[in-house]
Amino acid sequence: MSGKDRIEIFPSRMAQTIMKARLKGAQTGRNLLKKKSDALTLRFRQILKKIIETKMLMGEVMREAAFSLAEAKFTAGDFSTTVIQNVNKAQVKIRAKKDNVAGVTLPVFEHYHEGTDSYELTGLARGGEQLAKLKRNYAKAVELLVELASLQSSFLGLNAPLLISSQSWMRESEKSSIG
Amino acid sequence: MLESAELYFNADHGYLEGLVRGFKAGLLTQQDYINLVQCETLEDLKIHLQTTDYGNFLANQPNPLTASIIDTEMRKKLCREFEYFRNHSLEPLSTFLTYMKCSYMIDNVILLMNGALQKKSVKEILVKCHPLGRFTEMEAVNIAETPSDLFHAILVETPLAPFFQDCMSENTLDELNIEILRNKLYKSYIEAFYKFCKNHGDVTAEIMCPILEFEADRRAFIITLNSFGTELSKEDRETLYPTCGKLYPEGLRLLAQAEDFEQMKSVADHYGVYKPLFEAIGDGSGGKTLEDVFYEREVQMNVLAFNRQFHYGVFYAYTKLKEQEMRNVVWIAECISQRHRTKINSYIPIL
Repeated sequence: MSGKDRIEIFPSRMAQTIMKARLKGAQTGRNLLKKKSDALTLRFRQILKKIIETKMLMGEVMREAAFSLAEAKFTAGDFSTTVIQNVNKAQVKIRAKKDNVAGVTLPVFEHYHEGTDSYELTGLARGGEQLAKLKRNYAKAVELLVELASLQSSFLGLNAPLLISSQSWMRESEKSSIG
Repeated sequence: MLESAELYFNADHGYLEGLVRGFKAGLLTQQDYINLVQCETLEDLKIHLQTTDYGNFLANQPNPLTASIIDTEMRKKLCREFEYFRNHSLEPLSTFLTYMKCSYMIDNVILLMNGALQKKSVKEILVKCHPLGRFTEMEAVNIAETPSDLFHAILVETPLAPFFQDCMSENTLDELNIEILRNKLYKSYIEAFYKFCKNHGDVTAEIMCPILEFEADRRAFIITLNSFGTELSKEDRETLYPTCGKLYPEGLRLLAQAEDFEQMKSVADHYGVYKPLFEAIGDGSGGKTLEDVFYEREVQMNVLAFNRQFHYGVFYAYTKLKEQEMRNVVWIAECISQRHRTKINSYIPIL
């Protein structure tokens, strides 16, 4: 017991009961802090693992999609100007939801489809099959990108609370180990 | 009569026929393709192309060479050659060459129409237009507000006017989906071209008519295949089929009723020319698609056109073969630059 952390108290039964209650409260608080830090760390590790997997998959999917673009251009000619000129409403949209982990709110993105395909008849006379494959590949790429974005924003959102709670836990452990 | 072609053809068109045959001799051979496929980078590809007829066409390009730069430069070269033919030709070869330009003009007009209606800058669109499809009224397109305005003001002067008048009245121009308009124009165009060749008679008709019949039937098959599962109705689909092919009239009627690939295949089985083509289609991702099979047949017919002399078909055949060569080289270039070499040999061999 160091001199600085001494609490001045009048030695009586009541004071002892009050002190015991305070001790219990402090211990519960400490355990809760540990649980929070653990939960955040667990979630953090899960997100990190998923980010790595998704990024590797992303590389593959983008490569596949770029190649199917080359295939479509081989059969259908250059349709890029037609496609760019006919852009109006988005077909794939994102909804943002909130998820709660040990008191920290994290954003989660979810994609949904709306509306019909305005490029249904492009490539009607040449290359329609390749264009359909191209659309599917890029749709997969977009969905994967949305998932990656969701994971990365959770990562960033989790980073700060995790550091804070683990630092508090460290300080707490230091104090209790000295005391 | 056959004799007249041999007697009078060379007086008007002999020089150009000689020239086009010379160009044809410069097309990339199988050995060239083998060399190109073995290149590791696009710089290697450029060096190999320097030894062919292409020469130093990529000499002045800025350093990061991409497949689209190669495509643009090759297209410019073809355009120069074609314009040379067109400028030095006499009638009726001039009309024939104008007919050939019409198909590119149709694509350009659709692009311009679309852009003008969305108030995009005309200059940007002009850059994207196909150089072979240039016509003098192109810059004036931004005057028009609606498609019918566009038609009355500008397109009436171009060679495309009869195709517009054929397929629709001016009021319906506004509501029509742009792809359906494109296909209707193409249908009128190919029927007019076919009639021109047939009326010309002689060896030209003997060579060009089967080629154009095949093109018409191919379009009918591809439109049918691509319209399964879309909102295009059967009646609409039938109006897009060109009628100058072998499939007219019974085959086209049967095709309009087809609902899946098997029914389409059974229509093709009635025709001796198309049955073996459909049988050559592999299934799934390993084999050839219908489009590949059609491209191969087109290349075959175009190469055979060079076996006869004294006809205009050589110009058509040379242009189409050159375009296929461009597509092949760009395909190989993309496979090399994306380092995706599994399908690099799926180009269509020409010679």
